[in-house]
Amino acid sequence: MSSLPDSRQLQQRFAQHLRTGVNTAIPGVAKDRLAHYRHAIFHMVKDTMESAYPVTCANIPARKWDRMVRNFFAHHACTSHQVWKLPLEFYTYAVENNWDEGYDIPYLSDLLAFEWAEIEVFNMEDVAPAAFTSTGSWMETPLVLNPEYRLLSFKYPVHREARRARLLKEQGAWFVLLHREPVSGHVQFTGLSPWLAFVTEQLAAGITVKDILEYAPQLGITVTAELENDTVAFLVDMQRQQFVLGFQP
Amino acid sequence: MVGLGFRREFAEEMISGTLITPDFIEFAPENWMNIGGYWKKILHRVLEKYPVLCHGLSLSLGSPEEPDKDFLRYVKSFLEEYNVRIYSEHLSYSKCDNAHLYDLLPMPFRMDAARHMATRIQQVQEYLQRPLAMEIISYYTPVAPEMSEADFINEVVQRSGCQLLLDVNNIYVNAFNHQYDAKAFIAQLPLDRVAYIHMAGHEQVSPDMILDTHGHPIADPVYELFEWTIRQIRPVPVLLERDFNIPQMQDLQKELTRLKSICHQQWKQHELVA
Ligand SMILES: [Fe+2]
Repeated sequence: MSSLPDSRQLQQRFAQHLRTGVNTAIPGVAKDRLAHYRHAIFHMVKDTMESAYPVTCANIPARKWDRMVRNFFAHHACTSHQVWKLPLEFYTYAVENNWDEGYDIPYLSDLLAFEWAEIEVFNMEDVAPAAFTSTGSWMETPLVLNPEYRLLSFKYPVHREARRARLLKEQGAWFVLLHREPVSGHVQFTGLSPWLAFVTEQLAAGITVKDILEYAPQLGITVTAELENDTVAFLVDMQRQQFVLGFQP
Repeated sequence: MVGLGFRREFAEEMISGTLITPDFIEFAPENWMNIGGYWKKILHRVLEKYPVLCHGLSLSLGSPEEPDKDFLRYVKSFLEEYNVRIYSEHLSYSKCDNAHLYDLLPMPFRMDAARHMATRIQQVQEYLQRPLAMEIISYYTPVAPEMSEADFINEVVQRSGCQLLLDVNNIYVNAFNHQYDAKAFIAQLPLDRVAYIHMAGHEQVSPDMILDTHGHPIADPVYELFEWTIRQIRPVPVLLERDFNIPQMQDLQKELTRLKSICHQQWKQHELVA
């Protein structure tokens, strides 16, 4: 019988060290080679985060950012088989652990959400849209939207600004629509007012513009001819951008 | 058949260009599954033009824990959908305590690990209804070994009935880093099980260490080892892996051509028989 622990324990020690850096002695393992593995793995993870979150990373001091990535990788068991999905785990981990406060970056989760959404919408599996026609009434026909989109709400306008001081001054309710153009696959961003975000959400649920406008006073919004015109103008523009695909037949 | 590892950096060139003409391509299912939009369109176009072999990254068959069932189900349907003839994986693990590490970690060369891995391979082969070609990885440290690497590999292959993916560069790198004779090592392997060959470049980073970078052209001594190796085995597909430091397409094509001419030279008799 061998006096060594079984292979499973050796593997656990080896992997645990690579994730956390906790000292470990495994027979036959050279220190510098172990360090090579740890370095290579961390470099890969950090690199993945920096490609996914270029704005976030550029706006956080290098040492702090390094600490965040190390913290994540050491304490979170990554479950994605696909490396490109790893940044989602980072974002989720940051939210679950309240990093906005912990690292004193109040807009961190907004910024991560925004940068992740671009990757997600760009890569998301194809979703077939519902049948639609090009003729109908903007007011009375339910619209068919491009299903490849995300509507995000933020406390800070991270889609317009990345500088801390400015972001902190503009805390509020911000909305961004990201959608994927059907032919090119490019992701488009559109900043939305709270009203247009509400309209978009309702349209996606199959509600007509007329019914949305009728509901508006309950939100404390006064319906004027201008609001009506602006709403339809927005939809016409979004049709040009292939977010509104057409009218339900 | 000499193929090229498919990468996004040269996707467009492989689809529309004329500079590079591999016989097949290889990619990791992990990098292409669940993807839509732009890259899905590219994937479909490239698959119209080339046969594909798949090389998995994250099954982690040396892991203490069970393989992920949902992932396996997805792999199975992916292999069927794209008519993939060979699915290869690694004699390694990349996941432990249910955490992926995104690197190929060295197995302890020990009997319990060999048996465990063989059982895992068998389970997956049964589920996928196909043999796996298992790649001998490059590694930078032994981990509490109780047997030789070759004995470990023989044990796994014999018990699981899997095939081998011989990465000639990996063996060259390992032989240098662990100071053994590459040819003597290869001679100890169950060469009748070799179903696939990888070739790639490496970089020497210190007097006693070579890194398996996939970021350089294939080195001459690796060509030489390749030539010697393929004389010992029947013809199998050969793949050029180039993942970093991507050169001009003409340069990659030159490497493909060189590999092809070596195969042609060494496997002539087989072609005549066939
Ligand atoms: Fe390889």
